[in-house]
Amino acid sequence: MIYDVLIGPFAEFEFMRRALAGVLTLALGGAPVGVFLMLRRMSLVGDAMAHAILPGAAVGFLLSGLNLIAMTVGGLIAGFAVAILAGLVARVTELKEDASLAAFYLFSLALGVTIVSIRGTNIDLLHVLFGNVLALDDQTLLAIAVNATVTMVVLALIYRPLVMECVDPLFLRSVSRAGAPAHIAFMALVVINLVNGFHALGTLLAVGLMVLPAGIARFWARDISSMMVIAVLSAIVSGYAGLVLSFFTKVPPGPAIILVAAFVYLVSLLLGPVSGLLRQLFPAPHLEA
Amino acid sequence: MGALTFHDVTLGYDRHPAVHHLSGDVASGALLAVVGPNGAGKSTLFRGIVGMLKPLAGTISLSGANARDIAYLPQVADIDRSFPISVFDFVSMGLTRRTGLFGGIGRKERDSVERALGAVGLTGFEARTIGTLSGGQMQRMLFARLLLQDARIVVLDEPFNAIDAKTSADLLDLVRRWHAEGRTVLAALHDMDLVRATFPDALLLAREPVAWGKTAEVLTADNLAMARRMCEAFDEGAAACVVDAPSSARAA
Amino acid sequence: MVHAFVRSLALMAVLVAVSATAQAQEKLKVVASFSILADFARNIGGDRVDVAMLVGPGGDAHVYSPTPADARNVAAAKLVIVNGLGFEGWLSRLIKSAGNKATVATATKGVAPRKDKAVTHDHKHNHKHSHDHEDADPHAWQSVANAKVYAANIRDALIAADPAGAEAYRRNTEGYLAKLDALDRDVREAVAKLPAERRKVISTHDAFGYFADAYGIVFIAPQGVSTESEATARDVARIITQIKTQKIPAVFLENVSDPRLMRRIAEESGAKLGGTLFSDSLTDEKGAAPTYIDMIRYNIKALTSALAG
Repeated sequence: MIYDVLIGPFAEFEFMRRALAGVLTLALGGAPVGVFLMLRRMSLVGDAMAHAILPGAAVGFLLSGLNLIAMTVGGLIAGFAVAILAGLVARVTELKEDASLAAFYLFSLALGVTIVSIRGTNIDLLHVLFGNVLALDDQTLLAIAVNATVTMVVLALIYRPLVMECVDPLFLRSVSRAGAPAHIAFMALVVINLVNGFHALGTLLAVGLMVLPAGIARFWARDISSMMVIAVLSAIVSGYAGLVLSFFTKVPPGPAIILVAAFVYLVSLLLGPVSGLLRQLFPAPHLEA
Repeated sequence: MGALTFHDVTLGYDRHPAVHHLSGDVASGALLAVVGPNGAGKSTLFRGIVGMLKPLAGTISLSGANARDIAYLPQVADIDRSFPISVFDFVSMGLTRRTGLFGGIGRKERDSVERALGAVGLTGFEARTIGTLSGGQMQRMLFARLLLQDARIVVLDEPFNAIDAKTSADLLDLVRRWHAEGRTVLAALHDMDLVRATFPDALLLAREPVAWGKTAEVLTADNLAMARRMCEAFDEGAAACVVDAPSSARAA
Repeated sequence: MVHAFVRSLALMAVLVAVSATAQAQEKLKVVASFSILADFARNIGGDRVDVAMLVGPGGDAHVYSPTPADARNVAAAKLVIVNGLGFEGWLSRLIKSAGNKATVATATKGVAPRKDKAVTHDHKHNHKHSHDHEDADPHAWQSVANAKVYAANIRDALIAADPAGAEAYRRNTEGYLAKLDALDRDVREAVAKLPAERRKVISTHDAFGYFADAYGIVFIAPQGVSTESEATARDVARIITQIKTQKIPAVFLENVSDPRLMRRIAEESGAKLGGTLFSDSLTDEKGAAPTYIDMIRYNIKALTSALAG
C-alpha cells in the first residue's frame, strides 16, 4: 500500500519521474540561494524578477516570434540587467537594495508591457514563457541540471565573501575588493535559478522552492551551513510529497508542492527549536550554566 | 617618512569640511591618541585613513602599505547581529588577507583563531552565535578579529565606549602589546585620564588640528579650551574656502 | 499636382460606375450568422447576393457578443440565415433589437439532430439557449450529407426572398451539391483506407459528433485535461493510461495551452500528436480552411495522416 502511494506513480509513469528529477535538481541549486536571499532580506526578489524579465522576453518575441529559447535568453538578459543595476545603485548610493530593485523591476515591467502592446498582440507572453513540471523534456532537464551544478560551484566559490557581505560589509570592504563582484555573482545566480525555474516549472514552483525552504530552515538551525542543508532537504521532501499529492487528488502539481512546503513551514513555525512559537510560549527550564 | 602622512588633508561631507587642512606625519610605531570634542572630525579622519572616504582636498599617504592592510575598528559596527554565524567563523574573517577569500582554514589557522580568542578572554565562545553576545563580549570579539589581521597599522575609533572597566582594561593591555610589537596604533578617545596614562602622543582635533605632539604638551587647559570653542554644526552659509596660513603643528 | 488630378478623375469614374451598377441591379442583402453559413450562401447565391457574416473567421459563435455594426447589417438585411439547434443563443435578441422585418431561415431545418453527449463544454457557455431542442448538438454541418440539406434550405430561402433569381439559385445549388457529393465520397474513401482499429482519436473538441456518426471515426474526450484549469498529475496519468489501454493512435489537443505538456503526453503514451482540427468556423483566405469544402478536406487529411500506420 505504501509502495503504491509513494513509489508506484513514479515507477509507472515517466512524466512523474521526470517531474521528480526536475524538482529535486532545482532544489539543490535554488534552496541554498534562497537561504542567502532570506538572510539578505530579499525574499520578495523572486516575484519582482518574474516581472522584470518581461521586456527581455518581449524583445526575444519581437525578434523571433514564439521561440522559447530566444525568449528565455532575452528574459535572462533583462533579469541580469535589473539585478546588476539594482545592486550597483544600492552599493554606490544611499538607496538600499529593496527600493533599488523595486524601482528597476517596475521600470522593466512597464517597458515590457509597452513593447508588447506596440507590437499589437495580446498573447500572454509570460504565460507562454512559464513551464509546467509535468512537461519536462530532455532539453529542459538538462538545463536544470546545468543550472544546479553551476549554482553549487559558484556558491562554493563566493561563499566567504557573501557571508561577510551579509554580516559585516564594512569589514569586507576594508580588507578586500571582492564584495561587489561577489554580490553581482550572487544576483546572477538568483536570476539564473529563477529564469531557469520559470522556464521549467513555472513561477509558483520556482520562487516557492527558493523561498519557503529557507524560511523552514530558519526555525531549525542556528548556523548557515546547517540552514542550507535543511533548506535543500525540505525542498526535496516538499517536492516529492507534492507530486504524490497531485497524483492522487485534484490539485495541480505546482500548488501541491507549495502547499506541502507551506504546511512544513507552519509546523516549523510552531515547533521549531529556534524561535518556534511553542518553544517561546512553553520554554524548557533554564540550565545551570 | 612616517607610517602615515597627511598632506593638507580636508575631509568632509557634501563639501562641508569635517577635518580641515590637516598636515603631518604619524611616525612608524607611534601610539597616538586622537582626541577632541564631539563632531571634531575624529571618525571622519579615520574613515579617510582607511580609504572609505575620499578627501575633499589633499592626500593621505601610507608608506609602502595599502589601505587594506590597516586593521580598523569602527565606532559603530554595521554588523548584522541576527546573522547565523558563530564567534569562531566571525573572528576567522580576520584571516582574509592571509588566506585570501578562497583559501582554506587549516590546522595552523584554527590555532591562531583559538589563540586570538584566548587573548581577549573568549575561550569557550567558539560555537556561540554572535547574536547572543553582550556588548563587552562583542567588543572583545572584534578585537580578536583585529589581532588576527596582524596589521602594521591599527586604527581604533572609540574602542572603549560603553563597555565595562574590566573589559576596557583587558583590551587596553592588548593595545599596549601592539605598541610593544612595533605596530602603529591610532585611537580616538574621550577619556583624557586614559590618554594621559597610556598614550605617549596625542593629536587634538577640533575640525582643524589644534595641537599635535607629546600628550602632556597637547592636553593643556588652553588647548582644550580652544578646542571646545569650535563650532559643531556645519555652516550652511559658508563661503568656499580660501587657503590661509596653515595652523597645524608638526609631529615630534 | 498631376497626381492629384489623376486621383480625382479616378474617383469620379468609380462613382459613376457604382451608381450605374446600383441602378442596374440591387443585390439581395443577406446576413449569415457565421462563416460556414456565409460560405454556403455565397456559393448558392452567386453574385445576386451580398452576404455579410456576424461571427467572422476564427470566431467562436458559442460565445459571440454582437457589435453595433452587426445590428446595422441585420437591420438592413432581407434574409438572415442561422444555423439553429441552439448554436446562436445571442441571435434572437439581436434580431429583435434590430427591429427587423427580415425573414429568418434556419439552415438545419429537416436535419435529424444528435443529442449533445454529456461532454465537458470547454467553452465558457454563458449564453442562454432557447430551449426548444433539448440540448441537441448544433454542429450538424460536420456531416457532408447534412451540408446538402443546408444547401437546399438556403436555396429555398433565397428563392423565397428573391423569386426573380430562382433559376440562378437552382443552377448554383446543383453545381454545389455535385461538389459536396464528391467531397463525401473522398472522405469515405480516406476513412476506408484506415485500418478499422485505428479509427479513433482523442480530441478536446466536442464538435465532431456528426462527423463521427457519418464517417466512423470515434472522437473520445480526454479524461481530465481541460483548457482552463491547470492539469494535475492525476489528469495526465489518466489520459496516458486511457490512450495506452484503449490503444488510441492519435491525440488532437490543440486547446490545451501548453504544447510541451502535449508532447510529453504523446511521447509517453505512444500516441501521435495531430495538428489542428477546424470545427466551428472557417479561417480567413490565407488560412488552411477558407471555405467549407476546404475545411472538411483539411480535417480529414489531418485525421488520416495522424491515424495512418
